[in-house]
Order: sequence, then C-alpha cells, then structure tokens
Amino acid sequence: MTASLSLDNTAIVLDSTCDPPDGFFDRPGMHMIPLRVHFGDETFRDGVDLTYQEFFARLGRSPVLPTTSQPTVTEFSELYSRLREQYAHVFSLHISGEMSGTVRAARQAAEAIDNVHVYDLRTVTTALALGGERLRARLAEGCTLDQAKAYVEHYRDHSQLLIHAATLEYLRRGGRIGRAAAYVGGVFDIKPLIDCQDGVLGGYAKVRGLKKALAAMERFIEERTRPDDDLYFCTIDAVNDEEPPLIRELIERLRPRARFVFHGHVAAVVGTHIGPGAAAFAMIAE
Amino acid sequence: MVREAAIAVIESALAALEAERQYVNDLNVYPVPDGDTGTNLALTVRAVIDELEQSDVRDIPSVAAAVTKGSLMGARGNSGVILSQIVRGVCEVWGEAASLDTAVFKRALAEGQAAAYRAVREPVEGTMLSVIREMAAAAQAVPDSAGLEHLLTAIEAAGTVAVEKTMSQLPVLEKAGVVDAGGYGLLVLFRGLAAGIEELLRGGLGAAARLVSAAAPAELSRFRYCTSFLLRGEGIDAAALTEFLSGLGDSALVVGDERTVKVHVHVNDPGVVLSEAIRHGSLDAVEINDMHAQTRERDARLGAPRPQAGGAVVVAVVAGEGNKRLFRELGCHAVVDGGQSMNPSAAQILAAVEGLDSEEVVVLPNNGNVILTAEQAAGMCARHVAVVPTRSIPAGLAAMVAFDPALDAVANAEAMEAAVAGVHDAEVTRAVRDSELDGVTVREGQVMALVDGRLVAASDDLREAFAAVLRAFSEGGAELVTVLTALNGSGATREELAELAARVAPDLEVTFHEGGQPLYPILASAE
Repeated sequence: MTASLSLDNTAIVLDSTCDPPDGFFDRPGMHMIPLRVHFGDETFRDGVDLTYQEFFARLGRSPVLPTTSQPTVTEFSELYSRLREQYAHVFSLHISGEMSGTVRAARQAAEAIDNVHVYDLRTVTTALALGGERLRARLAEGCTLDQAKAYVEHYRDHSQLLIHAATLEYLRRGGRIGRAAAYVGGVFDIKPLIDCQDGVLGGYAKVRGLKKALAAMERFIEERTRPDDDLYFCTIDAVNDEEPPLIRELIERLRPRARFVFHGHVAAVVGTHIGPGAAAFAMIAE
Repeated sequence: MVREAAIAVIESALAALEAERQYVNDLNVYPVPDGDTGTNLALTVRAVIDELEQSDVRDIPSVAAAVTKGSLMGARGNSGVILSQIVRGVCEVWGEAASLDTAVFKRALAEGQAAAYRAVREPVEGTMLSVIREMAAAAQAVPDSAGLEHLLTAIEAAGTVAVEKTMSQLPVLEKAGVVDAGGYGLLVLFRGLAAGIEELLRGGLGAAARLVSAAAPAELSRFRYCTSFLLRGEGIDAAALTEFLSGLGDSALVVGDERTVKVHVHVNDPGVVLSEAIRHGSLDAVEINDMHAQTRERDARLGAPRPQAGGAVVVAVVAGEGNKRLFRELGCHAVVDGGQSMNPSAAQILAAVEGLDSEEVVVLPNNGNVILTAEQAAGMCARHVAVVPTRSIPAGLAAMVAFDPALDAVANAEAMEAAVAGVHDAEVTRAVRDSELDGVTVREGQVMALVDGRLVAASDDLREAFAAVLRAFSEGGAELVTVLTALNGSGATREELAELAARVAPDLEVTFHEGGQPLYPILASAE
C-alpha cells in the first residue's frame, strides 16, 4: 500500500469552535475558518480579531449577550480554492450539524471543488481540535486517502467529549442544548456535566462540588473506555485554571496508556454558549 | 342531632387536652425546638370539629365519615397522624354499625388500634401505639353485656397503666423520667371523650346541645383566613389573647406557655390579629391561608414551573424564604410552608398536590415529624404520589438535585432516595430547656450542634457549635458541605463562618446559602 497522503500534500481545515491550543494553526497545512461573534453591532472573527482572554473580559462587562454566526459559503469557497492551489487534498472537519450550520456551508462550497473532504465530526470544541491533531499525526507518518478517511470516520463515531459547565444559562438561551434542557446549572452550586452523543449535547450528570465532578468523570471514563485502550486525550478550560490538571491526573491514573495531547482554551463562539468557569476533556481510543 | 352530639363529645375531648396541652408539650424530652405533641394533637382534633361544623351531615354513617375526613386532613405531626388513623378505624366500625353500644365500641377500638399500627412502618413500644393497643385489649376483656360506662372506665384504667409503662419501655424516656407525650395526649383525649359520652348518656341530647352552644358556634365558619403563628414574649396572657381572638373570629386556639404560644384562628382580617399579637411579643412562622381554596390553587399553578408531559412534579414542605427560593430554583413546583415548630396538616399537603396539573407527584416532607403526614396525604390522593422520606431541608435539597422532570414519580423517588442516602445533616439551634443528651450537658439558651440527630456540642457561642459540626463532618469523610443560614440575631456573620470553615476544615468544600428558616441559625448537610 502506497502512502499517498502527507503533510506536504494535504491541508486540514477546522472551524474556530475547535478552541485550539496556542500555536495550533501556526503550523503548515493547518487552517482555521472563523465563525463570527457579535456584541451588539460589533462583529469579531472568532480567534482572529478576538483572543479568548479578550473575549471573556468583554463578556464580563457586556450589557448584552453576544450572538454567533457561521462562516459563509463564499468564505469556504475562497479558502478551499486557495488551499487546493497548494495541496492535493483538503480535509475539512467541523462542528456538529446539530449545533451549527457551518458544516452545511462547507459542503456547499466543496461541491464545486474536487478533493475537498468535508466531515461533520458530530462534536464540538476541543474534540474537534483533537480530531484534527490526530489526523495530522496520520499525515505526518504518511497514509492512504482511504486510511485518512477511515480514521476521520472512526474519530467521528468514537471520540468522547465531557464538558463540566459552570452554568447552562448560555446554552439554554442559545438553544444549543438537547437532552440537557431540563438540567439546572448554576443554581445551588450545581455544575452539570454535559456529554455529546449523536451530535447533540446532553446532560450526563448533575453534580455539586469539584470532588463529585471528578468522581462522575471517573465513571464516564470507565464507561466509555477500556483499560488497555490506546487513548489520546486533551483538556480545555474557560477561565478555569484549577480543574484541567486534575482531569489530566485522573485520566493518567485510570488509563496508564493514555497520552496527553494538548491543553486548549475555550474561544469566543463556544465561550458564548458555555460561559466562563467551564472545563472539558476529549478523548479517542485508537 | 347526631352531628351536634358528636361535636359535643369531641369538644369535651379537646377541652380536656387543652387543659393539659402545656404539660403534654413539656413531656418532649428533647431540648430541640420542635413541633409539640400537645399542639399537634389539639390542632388535629380541632380540624375534626371544623369539619363537622362545616358539613351538613345528619345520620351516623355520614357523621362518622366527616369525623374521619376531618382528622385525616387535619393531621399534624406524627402524633396527629397516628391519632387520625385511630379515629379512622373507630369511625369505620361506628359508621357501619350506625349505633353505639358496648359491643360496637369494643370492635371500633380494636379497628382503631389496627389502623394505627398499619400507618407506622416500624412500630415502637413505649409510644401512642402501645397505649392504644393496651386500651383496645382491655376493652375486649369487658363482656358485651356490660354497660358503656363500665367499658369506658376499664379502657381508661388500662390506658393509665399503659402510659405509666412507656417510661420503662423507651430508654430516652426513662432517663428523662417522663412518660411518652403522644401516649399521654391520647389518654387525656380519651378521658375527655369518655366524660363527654357519659354526660350525653346522663343528660340526653339537651345537655349535648348546651355543650355545643357554650363551646363553639355551630353554624358554618363565616371567616375567610386561617391565621396561625408563633408568638414569643414575656408573660403572655394566653387567656386574654383567646378572648380577644374569639371576638374577631372562630376556631381560636392559643397554646403554649407565657413565653411562647402558638396561635390559630379563623378571621376576616388577619392584620388585626397580627397587630394585637405584636403588642405581646415577636412573631414567627406566620401562616395565613385563604380558606377559599380555589384562589390558593390558582396561585400555585401560576407561580410554578410547568410540568412536562408524563413527568413528575415536586411538592416540598419548607420553612424559610431563602430555602423556598432554592427549592423553586431547583424545579420544585409547590412549596408548603412548615417544618420545625409548625407541622403542616395532611390537608395542606394534599391541597398543594391537587393544585398541580400532574398525575405524577413527588412529596418531600423535609422533617422527621412530617413524613407520616405526607404519606397520609399521599394515601388520600388518587394520583401517583411518591413520598421521599427526607428528614431535613438540606436532605430535601440533595433530593432536588437528583430531580429529573422527564421521569415519573416512582423513578424520581428512587433517584432521590439514592441521592439522599449518603447525606448527613446537622442543625444548630438554641436549647429550649436544660437537658442531658448523648452524654452532653446542655443549659437552656445554649447553642447546640446536632449531627444526624445526635448532640455533638453545646456552647454559648454559635461559632464553636458550627466548628463542632464541621469537625464531625470532616471526620465522617465528607467532601461537600452545604450550609443554610439564618443568622439574624445570632451574633455571627456568614463571613466569620466561612473563615472558620477554611480554618477548621480546609479539606471540605463548604458553600453557604441564605435559608431564612426559623429557630435554626444553621442547617447543614455533608455529602
């Protein structure tokens, strides 16, 4: 089997809801398409015009809740055309179509351009970035087109995401929450744990206190992975320094073969919906 | 005339109890301010009279049914619930027989005893239950041919012995040197009842009619607001207050001592009652219910979150504005005011359940003395009602965290019971009497810390009591501590308590919420 795909001939596109770690898109072949954040009449490109620090500072003092909007088909077309001049293939990986119309715009743009492979990863935030990173690892080693596609499909079907949200207020107002609609968050110190299934965020557990949250995360990891899994995982926070190191310790204790890939920060669009104080992790068994 | 006769006899029982209610209340061996047995029994009996006065029943079966209904609905506290079950058993037999002679009375009492035992999951000897059992047993030994007066005397004698025996049946009573309050209350009620029946037998219905006119208005209550509250002061003149209230409305009841009384009255202007009351002392646990129930039911429906189709709604018994707000924010649909010091009646809980537009209902009693009442209310309701036996407000909140509005009552009750299973609770309050409990000596007025009902410390300083609670929680392996405060007048601030928690138990996550509950500056739970 010949390795036809590599970092030299294949580009990866992620949308800005992947909440990348610092420097993630500074590497060759990694490209981000920004969603938009609107504070009243002011519009910002997520992760481009507004860093996550600036976003949460603004969220704290803004009298109005920001709104978000997806990239246009034209923006996707321009990006894909430009990338295809340099790369033979483009893998474009996106936020669940249940949460945003981003992937539909991408598909529409890709119809007119060959060898642009658009995927709805059925997830959001750092789970998108982890998917992009692990695909990149395949490309770095060299793989066939079918192997790359098979990996993305495996990732789409098996990756896990668990968000420890400080409140559901933002998700609820934005209408982004499915099964978790009945969950109360923020009240009486309840911080809900939100998972993602079938592309939809839903309530996994309602917990009070960090220790109980970590206990529920332990249960989640035991349920969704096996002890001998080759596990890759990442963590993320939204103005929460305390929790991600504890999550990392937990996963490494439960799954000694697990490899920590990176730690990221929630950017403006996802931040608009889950609010400050959240932490999350994503993982994939390969 | 059956109705008037029944009212006369029950008035006689109530009068006997009211004469001794303070003594019955004082039999409470625990230094914790709690729903007093004498008061709960008196209010339960008062509800029977109210029901009879407001109904237009004439024959024995319908009078018996009204007495049953009044007692079941009016039952307050564990003693009230047990009494109401005895009444129900007695009335079933009496109503069917449609007459009253020695044989009927014997069977009625036996059925009353059986009903009482059925109502309690784990019957304990040395309580009302042993007293009613021995009274019923003594009745069976009297031949059917004996006169009713002879039977009553035999029962009363057996009851007296049984009450004295309670002291040696329960260690906690033996140590305090008292008899069981509920058992004694039951005996006092029976004595009054027997005296009423004997008077009836001697003087015929004319005497009964006299008793009625002397005791209470026989017509329907003209008054709209059921008003009740706790009054604290110095040298409160209960008799003068009763006289004042009787001039304003009906069903006036003032019970307590000269420092604390519980007041209950039906009036059209509760404001006048409260204005008069504050001249005598300070008010607490004020409860004003519009007896035009439709108004209240509509308010409950408008104020509550809407139930999901097929999903359950929650009714919780809660004291304190902050606590009520927490329950509502957690998705509780209706709150019944009450708990410590003012136990709600089964009727109040039932009204809250039936005021909600759902077939699936979970009830959280949030107090050990309200659980039976809630179960009684559930038993009277045709809907699917599950009672989760929460013994404290913090436990109730832990249950609410597990509430899922998409699930039915049974599934929610299971999840809630599991959530509550690992919860320990604590209360910090002032001792209402000198006492020795769990090896700790307490002086009246001292601050006590109780963890899972066990006294762990008594101190003149609230902070020290709170520290004892935190240490007990910490030693018990707790992780998360929830503190519900009502610190007004306690001499401590929440900031002080938070600093104390960080110092005494740095390993615990401690969160504070303003609870506003009466009598307890601090309620807490550990998970």
